[in-house]
Amino acid sequence: MLEVIDLAKRYGPVVALDGATFSARPGRIVGFLGPNGAGKTTTMRCIFGLARPDRGEVRWKGQPVDRAARLGFGYMPEQRGLYPRMRVAEQLSYFAQQHGLSGRDANAAATRWLDRMGLGDRAKAKLEELSHGNQQRVQLAVALAHDPELLVLDEPFSGLDPLGIATMTEVVNERAQAGVGVVFSSHQLDLVEDVCEDVVIIARGQIVAAGAIDELKARSGRRHLEVEVAGSDGAWLDGGGDLTILQRSGDRVKLLVPEDVDLDALLARARAAGEVRTFAYQPPKLSELFMEAVTPAPSPVMAETR
Amino acid sequence: MSRWRSVWLVARREMVERGRSRGFILSVAFTTVLVVGSFVVPTLLFGDDDATKIGVVQPEPPGLSLAITTSASQLDQEIEIVPFADEAAGDAALADESVEGVAIVPADLSGPGEIRFDKEPDQFVTQLVTASVVALRTQAVVTEAGVPPADMLAAQQAPTVHALDPQTEMDDAQFLFANIGAVLILVGIFSFGFTVLTGVVEEKQSRVVEVVLSTVRPRDLLMGKVMGIGVLGLIQLAVFVAAALAAAVLTDRFGLPATTPSAVLLLVVWFVLGYALYSTALGFLGALASRMEEASNASTPVTMVAMISYFVAIFAVINDPSGPVAVVATYLPPSAPFVVPLRAAFDAIGPIEILLSIAVTVAGIWVLFNVGARVYAGAVLQTAGRMKIRDAWRSAGE
Repeated sequence: MLEVIDLAKRYGPVVALDGATFSARPGRIVGFLGPNGAGKTTTMRCIFGLARPDRGEVRWKGQPVDRAARLGFGYMPEQRGLYPRMRVAEQLSYFAQQHGLSGRDANAAATRWLDRMGLGDRAKAKLEELSHGNQQRVQLAVALAHDPELLVLDEPFSGLDPLGIATMTEVVNERAQAGVGVVFSSHQLDLVEDVCEDVVIIARGQIVAAGAIDELKARSGRRHLEVEVAGSDGAWLDGGGDLTILQRSGDRVKLLVPEDVDLDALLARARAAGEVRTFAYQPPKLSELFMEAVTPAPSPVMAETR
Repeated sequence: MSRWRSVWLVARREMVERGRSRGFILSVAFTTVLVVGSFVVPTLLFGDDDATKIGVVQPEPPGLSLAITTSASQLDQEIEIVPFADEAAGDAALADESVEGVAIVPADLSGPGEIRFDKEPDQFVTQLVTASVVALRTQAVVTEAGVPPADMLAAQQAPTVHALDPQTEMDDAQFLFANIGAVLILVGIFSFGFTVLTGVVEEKQSRVVEVVLSTVRPRDLLMGKVMGIGVLGLIQLAVFVAAALAAAVLTDRFGLPATTPSAVLLLVVWFVLGYALYSTALGFLGALASRMEEASNASTPVTMVAMISYFVAIFAVINDPSGPVAVVATYLPPSAPFVVPLRAAFDAIGPIEILLSIAVTVAGIWVLFNVGARVYAGAVLQTAGRMKIRDAWRSAGE
């Protein structure tokens, strides 16, 4: 298990991290979310020893992370970077060897991962000769080729086309099923909702929400209510108290309601207006949880982290 | 995985990637051609000077040809006597330039005779023939006057020649060697040291350094880079020296001094030390820059120090190889690589001093590397603009 404990880091007057604490378990995919400048990249850099925290520490399997532990990590930094003029297969092999693989194993891993990424025929090409999307695939392969126990991916989906996203998702899922812990940051919240079981939301250098997505949703005080009343044109809502209308189109309305709303009363009101075709009471979307969590508010959602 | 394997992997990558680049191969080929050419071309142009041909019309006074040849050999010049049956044959040879000049001297030495040229009198031929004719005629007159030939020979004895501190061909070769050595070290530092500099900036600019440093320690990356590129520098130096030695031996322009092996060894040692020192400095200064243009600014102090050291070696040390400037410069790491090989070429430095100077320089490299590695670690991940050394040092605090 990866534990990030009370990390704090300042760059001059800028507070990048202010006591961030969370953990990532083996076999789980953690979406690491936060607005720009919230401290995601700094946290990842601290995990890899690329930034020294002013306070706090990162632990792996209960021990402070050292270089030996990092050899078993795979990293895809936000600022992508590989050697532009180095051949793709040699590049993969080089980084795998730097993670401790023998020359032979590293070459085999390079071939395997290039095939997996559909780049088997480009093994001898220089990186700069590849398209942007294919360079991204190589970058992911660099993070994976040494069979890491922990994958840390900073914005792995940015700049990828839907095909690339599909490959990326597939690989990440497969690794997680093989018991690898995955932490990735992203701004594409719908994607995160599809891929991740857990999320950690960071804002202003602090963790403002963390836990399983379902759990966070359940804990949220808000619910969505979608109601369709035939021929009503939504008129039954008018003059109806404490309801936030998100969307109103024809007979269909989307509402934001408190968790403890009196559903029976609402349903009765809708029925009085006509035939109820849809009455869906749902937890909020991840993007709403996110907005709620990162906006400075009196009571942020806080689930336990294990 | 051990740190040394990590350093080795970095070094090997540099060697392989740069070693097979077109730039490196071309530069090795170019230097080789340049070196071999600088030996072979002059040999082709000026080498194998044909002996000067002097015609002598028959009959000639007894001993004239012998006298001319002897005088010429005393002057270290090769000549060839071409006998002609008559004046007409001599004139024909002058016209088709098969001889430089023709001597027509009465066989009985009744007169001084004539030296005939085609267009312009050649001074060397004139003096040579004149001296021989005058000597023969004087000898005849004196012999006739009853002076014993032994006295005559005694009177003709040449003064002995003696040089207080003879300059030999060997010294010339050694001096040339030392000068080429200083230039080689300077060029090596500049070309390969700047390869380290640009390599550091490229890694920083392409952001690959963040991936590398997620497993490799910054100081190991810097060390591996300096070592790998250094090996390429040594390869180029080896090719250069081998080509020069081979060309020198083959064209036989000057004999190789007996001290050649130790001079080559000294050159290699100081090339390695000088390169290690300067490329380390260039490497960590490169990390402060975030773009190539900034890198050349950041490297200016190093360039200045290298140039000053080189000129101190070339001017001050050659002027006075044992003077105070030379001695002080021997124990300063930046100037030692230039100064010590030069002083050794002048035999102005003993083995103890050389070892001491090597020790001081190695210590200097060690200190610089430790300071540099920390600055490098602090600076290489900062991509926003040019960084100050002090900030980089602080941000990488242990």
